[in-house]
Amino acid sequence: MNIVIDYTIWIMMIGTAVLGCVSGALGSFAVLRKQSLLGDAISHAALPGIGIAFLITQSKSANILLLGAFTAGLIGSILVMLIVKNTVIKEDSALGIILSVFFGIGLVILTMIQKMPNASQSGLTTFLFGSAATILKDDIQTMAIIGAIAIIILMMFWKQFKLISFDPHFAATQSIPVKKMEILLTILMVAAIVIGLQTVGVVLMSAMVIAPAASARQWTNRLGKMVIISALFGAVSGIVGVAISASYPKVPTGPIIVIVMSVIVVISLMLGSAQGLLWEKVRKK
Amino acid sequence: MRKIKNTSIKMGIITGVAMLFTVALTLSLEGCKQKKQASDKLQVVSTVGMIHDIVLNIGKSHVDAISLMGPGVDPHLYKASEGDTRRLANADLILYNGLHLEARMADIIQQMSSRTHVVAVSKDIPKDLLRTPPEFDGFADPHIWFDVTLWIKVAKTIEETLVNLDPSHKDDYRKNAAEYIKSLEALHQEVSTKAASLPQEKRILVTAHDAFGYFGKQYGFKVVGLQGISTQAEAGAKDVQLLADMIVKQKITAIFIESAVPKRHIQAVQEAVIAKGWQVKIGGELFADAMGSAGTPEGTYIGMIRHNITTITEALK
Amino acid sequence: MTAPIVLSVKDISLAYKENPVLWDIDMDVPEGILLAIVGPNGAGKTSLIKAILGLETPAAGRVELFGQPYQKVRKRVGYVPQRGSVDWDFPTTVLDVVMMGRYGHLGWFKRPGNTEKQIAISALEKLGMADFVDRQIGELSGGQQQRVFLARALAQDADLYIMDEPFVGVDAATEKAIVVLLKELRKNKKTVIVVHHDLQTLEEYFDWVMLMNVRKIAYGPVKEVLTTENLKIAYGGRSALKAKGI
Repeated sequence: MNIVIDYTIWIMMIGTAVLGCVSGALGSFAVLRKQSLLGDAISHAALPGIGIAFLITQSKSANILLLGAFTAGLIGSILVMLIVKNTVIKEDSALGIILSVFFGIGLVILTMIQKMPNASQSGLTTFLFGSAATILKDDIQTMAIIGAIAIIILMMFWKQFKLISFDPHFAATQSIPVKKMEILLTILMVAAIVIGLQTVGVVLMSAMVIAPAASARQWTNRLGKMVIISALFGAVSGIVGVAISASYPKVPTGPIIVIVMSVIVVISLMLGSAQGLLWEKVRKK
Repeated sequence: MRKIKNTSIKMGIITGVAMLFTVALTLSLEGCKQKKQASDKLQVVSTVGMIHDIVLNIGKSHVDAISLMGPGVDPHLYKASEGDTRRLANADLILYNGLHLEARMADIIQQMSSRTHVVAVSKDIPKDLLRTPPEFDGFADPHIWFDVTLWIKVAKTIEETLVNLDPSHKDDYRKNAAEYIKSLEALHQEVSTKAASLPQEKRILVTAHDAFGYFGKQYGFKVVGLQGISTQAEAGAKDVQLLADMIVKQKITAIFIESAVPKRHIQAVQEAVIAKGWQVKIGGELFADAMGSAGTPEGTYIGMIRHNITTITEALK
Repeated sequence: MTAPIVLSVKDISLAYKENPVLWDIDMDVPEGILLAIVGPNGAGKTSLIKAILGLETPAAGRVELFGQPYQKVRKRVGYVPQRGSVDWDFPTTVLDVVMMGRYGHLGWFKRPGNTEKQIAISALEKLGMADFVDRQIGELSGGQQQRVFLARALAQDADLYIMDEPFVGVDAATEKAIVVLLKELRKNKKTVIVVHHDLQTLEEYFDWVMLMNVRKIAYGPVKEVLTTENLKIAYGGRSALKAKGI
């Protein structure tokens, strides 16, 4: 593999590293709160947001489209909460409903849009599976800023997020506004997902939220370490994925990143020093 | 026991009625589909705008013509919508490019061929005039409209088709076609002259995808696209790299975005080139797989080709 | 004997989707007693706790702690939720969990530091769990988990402790330890309210009892409340309640 750090590769690596870190960190909380599917629902829900943003503004600017994605993702997660609160439908079904309904609407809108001039120039369909190789410097800047804000907020409210994830009832007795914190956490998650849409796309983004966290859990029993390892795994899978796809022409980057992440998952399940299956066997002896 | 029996009978009746209802509905919709617009004129549906333009110029007032794909629409990615299916079903004549340009419409075009007249306008082009680039695994390059001489052949095919389907207006069709083909021949001369005004070493055209192969072959340009013949596959990092390397090595001064492909693709290439220390500008927007907006000069085939050659020669001067 | 009333519950009613879960509950809890809340399954015991702690909003009625609404005196109330309400596979250590009891005192942005660590360790010592400080909570036995929860409440340094079924599924040693802790709290003039499941140990462990089944059946010193009559009403099902006009 010829890995000469070319400008394009460099940009891609920074972008995917940012994406991997942020989704890994926030994904840890999603996984621990048993909301893994939330990532999937949010990323699929973002699709109509992208289409509607284009319909309203006719803008080809990536930032506008991402704002649409963010809004739709947020609305989707709020709807999930409302459904669970006010009907007998449980969270997993609510997530499934929102995921498919929003995604379906998104596809319909994209079909409608394809007839409009400028639609193809905006590259709306590249949001389905991502187009990592054509990330621009401006895109990286946006990703880095949003990512940094998300991580800073995460660290600011670390103890609150930890407690509401572990024991929300007890948290309420500690003067923590549990509902508001949960909404904040969800907002951060939507932001993390939106960052990744241009790189990995709507369909695969959920993998980047769940897999790094699930792998990291196998290596440690401390929350702080888990979040760090998860961010690391996310970033590594991004960088390695870019390196592989950049060495061969016509290899799509998004799917390769997810494959690399899957390899990390399998290795972690087997060999993870805290919870891995192999270690369990050894310990039992 | 009685309660249970009543419930299942109720269920059975409801289900039966629902099924009958559905069947009746479907049948009535079928009937709707059969009714065509009562009109004297020939209903012609074209897939891409360039074909539609020929139909307008030859058919003039004797046809009702529409095109499915408008300005800025990428035919490699386009999927027929519900409305499109209706339009296709109501057409007397469907014209498409063929050679896999309308890659995602293959099924529906196939279906329509059993209901009405469907013609691939590229059918009369002799095989030896088609490009079959090695990377495309033996398939032909569909972007034939960029060689005006080939497009003249297409116009002749459409002329013959109209004459066969609607012999009552044969004379008008022949007259219109002769006029139009004359203007196409003049266009061909114009393009050749303008192209020749650029010295050979400057005739390198870099665009978003490999649409301009025929243009290059006919008018003496080396043509390189970021994506291949079709925009369906994702642009890879290596492709961006290789293209940027080539631009720097050959000292190319301008690269071009296309109206129907994400602008970012070429912008990414430009950033890569600038990072290598070579200045390349975006020479302008070319109409590759779609024409410009209706009502503008670029909204016709002749206008589109003229716009392209002017933009290219200006930028690369 | 007029001990101040630390908890006053007046006319609390709570319904869940049109089913009454709590109905007209009245209770005045004086300082320094060990109070048990007992009743059959579905009697609304946990719901009563949640209503007191503001975790559920009652349809009617009022709760006052130390003469004020709960919000104002949060810091003075220690809560031990049911053990099963939490996922013990969560990646955190015993010490971490106990320190969570200090979060309320730290405010929004302060991190737990050495002071908090010391308080947590001493709380763990009281429960005999000092050796388990760095243990992953998933590795603990049921009794040990319960003690961690108790240590967490202790770390809050509260005046009123509310515990939800702390004796369920714990080993004998833990049960003894909990009772010792309760008695010591009482000695220090703390008040403890416990949702309890075992009628046998009621008299031995507790001073007062609230016997309930959606409604209050009887409330007061254990010996007075625990009559056959009252037990029949509480545990005898709906028909028994109806017969008594409740």
